[in-house]
Amino acid sequence: MPELIKVRPTKIELVKLKRRLFLAQRVQKIVKDRLSILSMEFLQTARDTVEAKRKLLDELSKLYKALSVAAGYHGYIALEKELIATEIDLKVTAGLGNVAGVRIPSFELMGNVKPMKGYNLVDTSSWLDRAAQLSAESLRAIVELAELQRNFELLAMEINRTKRITNALEYIVIPGLQVTINYLNMKFEERDREEKARLKRVKVLVARE
Amino acid sequence: MPKPLQDEANQSPYQKMLQDCLRGELRIVNTGLPQGQKRLSNLLEEKYPHVVCNDGSTHSFKRTELEYLVSMLDADEQKALPLPMLIELGANQAEAAVICEGQVEEKVISKALNMPVTCEERRIRIYKPQLALLRRRFKTTTVYVFSPKIIA
Repeated sequence: MPELIKVRPTKIELVKLKRRLFLAQRVQKIVKDRLSILSMEFLQTARDTVEAKRKLLDELSKLYKALSVAAGYHGYIALEKELIATEIDLKVTAGLGNVAGVRIPSFELMGNVKPMKGYNLVDTSSWLDRAAQLSAESLRAIVELAELQRNFELLAMEINRTKRITNALEYIVIPGLQVTINYLNMKFEERDREEKARLKRVKVLVARE
Repeated sequence: MPKPLQDEANQSPYQKMLQDCLRGELRIVNTGLPQGQKRLSNLLEEKYPHVVCNDGSTHSFKRTELEYLVSMLDADEQKALPLPMLIELGANQAEAAVICEGQVEEKVISKALNMPVTCEERRIRIYKPQLALLRRRFKTTTVYVFSPKIIA
């Protein structure tokens, strides 16, 4: 049951309440439009995230297989010794985008990722080269997933916030304003009726005299 | 038509906060709009392609998307295509409109959606499923605009 807003029963307050109701209804419409857009983006991001995760898992499983073969061939200690000084040229650009008022990050790997370097090519086998190549390839999927997952979280938070606003407007603010406006209207009608009854009474009294 | 409240001296703090919150909602929907659009050919020359938004922040473009656009346009069209493309959301929730200057946007959208589209009164009207498809292809090269008609 919506609560009455405590206001003085005057015509000015009624006008103010009507203006407030107009603003609330306008905001409700815009917030609902925004919510529908955010939901659409959220669902799309969710689908993309699932796809990116599946792709990354596939690539990582291939990579681990290649790495375990290389470890089997060289031995763990020798492999660790070779990989201790390896490095990879990686350039990620980070920017910001905007989706219906939500600032979302965007990450992108610049150019082609070069394979890992720093290990001795003479002492190592092609198994390790294969693992290095696969690890470079999986980087793109990692960056893509990082972006999607963050977007997913930000959109979910914004949808939650927007939903709370929509619900507050729909179930608390607007009904409260409507009930108060109705109450004031009834109060004024009651006053008018009282005034009419009083005038009639005065008229009768004047007529008697 | 009644206007939003001007005199708020007599309102309770709760009511004031509520009104501010509602006005804030109206403000934030279009804060991320770019101050101006840049041509595709100009963006390709930039090291970090971006445009500045109304709130002072930047909106970055992904190179992969720009390259996808390049693959479907010739050199003259690249000079004519303004980015980001604006998707206008109006009173009708079922459809949206892409604001366009010329034939280039029409070509891009029809190729991306794989269907013919027509530009009427500088707007290309598309429906929700097509909008989702368009946004999937052009995540950073399109932005939403809430129509001034529904905000004002």
